[in-house]
Amino acid sequence: MAQRPAFRSSQQSQSTTISLSNVSHGFEERTVLENVSLTVERGETLAIIGPSGTGKTTLLRLLALFEPPRSGRITFDSTDLWSVSADDRLTERRQIGMVFQSPNLFSASVRQNVSYGLRLRQGWRTRLRQWAARLVRQPPMPAVEAALGTVGLADAANRPAGSLSGGEAQRVAFARALAPGPEFLLLDEPTSDLDPRNTAVIEEAIETSRADGLGVVIATHDMQQAERIADRVAVLLDGRLIEVGATEAIFTDPDDRRTQRFINGELIY
Amino acid sequence: MIETAFVGLSGADYLFDAIVLFADLPFERGYIESIIRVSLSVSLTAVVLSTLVGLPVALTVGFTEFPGKRLVVALINTGMGLPSVVVGLLVLFAVSNQGPLGSLNLVFTREAMVISQFVLATPVVTGVSLAAVTSVDDGLRDAAYAMGGTRLDVALATISEARAGIVTAVLAGLGRAISEVGSVLIVGGNIVRADGSSVTRTLTTAIQLEARQGRFEIALLLGGVLVALVLVINGLVLRLGGRRY
Repeated sequence: MAQRPAFRSSQQSQSTTISLSNVSHGFEERTVLENVSLTVERGETLAIIGPSGTGKTTLLRLLALFEPPRSGRITFDSTDLWSVSADDRLTERRQIGMVFQSPNLFSASVRQNVSYGLRLRQGWRTRLRQWAARLVRQPPMPAVEAALGTVGLADAANRPAGSLSGGEAQRVAFARALAPGPEFLLLDEPTSDLDPRNTAVIEEAIETSRADGLGVVIATHDMQQAERIADRVAVLLDGRLIEVGATEAIFTDPDDRRTQRFINGELIY
Repeated sequence: MIETAFVGLSGADYLFDAIVLFADLPFERGYIESIIRVSLSVSLTAVVLSTLVGLPVALTVGFTEFPGKRLVVALINTGMGLPSVVVGLLVLFAVSNQGPLGSLNLVFTREAMVISQFVLATPVVTGVSLAAVTSVDDGLRDAAYAMGGTRLDVALATISEARAGIVTAVLAGLGRAISEVGSVLIVGGNIVRADGSSVTRTLTTAIQLEARQGRFEIALLLGGVLVALVLVINGLVLRLGGRRY
C-alpha cells in the first residue's frame, strides 16, 4: 500500500467493507432498485455500469446514507447503519466521501470548499475560533494542501470557486471529498462533463486513493473508463444487479447476455 | 403660508433652510435627533425580531414537506401586502384595555410600535428569505450532507449560500418598517414631550405632521435623513456582502 498521505486521519475507525444486502428502494409507486446485494472492500475500485435511469445514482445515495432503503440492509462490516443511533450513523457517514456529477461547490474560496468536511468534524468552539481566525488570515491546513495536490491544484487554494473552469471545479470537488480522509469514496459520473485532460487527472486521483487503501465506487456509463480504472464491475439494469465480477472477466467473457450487448453499445431497454 | 411656500421657494431653498436650521437651532436639532433615535430603535428592534422569527420559518417551510404547506406560503405572501393601517388598528385593539395584551399598558408606546412593525416586516423577511433559500441548488445541500453535515450544518450552508438574498430580505423588512406611517401613527400616537423630544414620533409620522403644519424645511430635512439612512444601510450591505465568489 502507498504511504499514507498527510490528509489521512489515523483517528478514524477502520471499516473494511460497505455492503448492500437485499436492498430494494423506490420513489412513490416506482421501484428503482430491486433486491440488490453488493459488497465493496477498502483498497478496491468497483465500477457500477448501466444505462441512464437504471438506478446507479440511487444506489450511491443509499450507500451515502441519504435515506434508508425501503427494505434490506446497508452495513459497514457487520453494523446495520439504519439500526444504530443517529450519532453513530453520523460517525459512520463521515467515513464516506462523495463526488457528484456536478461539482456543487459553495460560493467561497477553493480552500474553504476543500476544508469544509474537516471543519464539520470539529467542535463548535473550534469552528467558531477558526472562523474568527480566518477573518485575520488563513491558517495553513496540511490536509487541504495535500488533497489539492492530489488533483493538481495545489496553487489554487485562494481562488474563488466561481472563477474555476468546469474541469477544475470537479477536481476541487474531488479534493473536498478526499480531504477529511474517508474510508470510501462514492463517485457519481464524476467525469461525464469533463475533457480528456481533466478526466485523466481525476482517474489518476482515483488510482492514488485506491492505492492508499480507500474503497472507491464509481457509477459510470463510460465503458472504457470502467475498464481502465476498476478492479471489479457491477452491471445494473432496470434496478437489478445482473452481474458482478472482475473487470477483465466482465469485458471479455460476461455471464449475462445483456451485459455483452450493453458493452457492445446495443440498446437493451 | 403654504401657497407662498409652493410659489416662491424651490426645493434647494428648503434644503438650504433645513441645513441652516439644523446647524443653528439647538431646540430643533434635539427634536430631530430624538426622532431619528426613536425611528431607528423601533425599526431595528422590529426587524431583528422579524429576522429571528422569519428566517427559521423560511428554512422550515423551504425544506420540509407537510400538509398545508402551500397554504402557509400563500399566507406569507398575503402578509407581505398587509395594509399598514389595518395592522395598526388590529395591534391597537390587541393592546387596548379590552384586548389580549391590555394588561401590559402598551397603548401609545414604542413597544406597541415595535409590535406593529414586527407584524408588517415579518412576512416580508420570511417571504424574501424563503425565495432566497429555496433558490439554493439542491446539489449544494446534498454536498453539505455528503461531506458529513448534520441537518444544522446543511441549514447553515444553505443560509451561507443564500446570504445575499437573506440580506435583501432583512433590508426589505427594514425598508417596510422604517418607511411605514399608518400603523405607528395609530398605535404610537405621534407623541413628543414638553421639551420637544420624541416619545413615539418617528421620521415618517413627523414628516407627515410637519408637512401638514407647513414647516417644509423640517419635513424636508427629516426626509433627507430618512433617505440617507437607507443609503447608509445599502452601503453597509454592499460593503459586507460585496465579496463575490
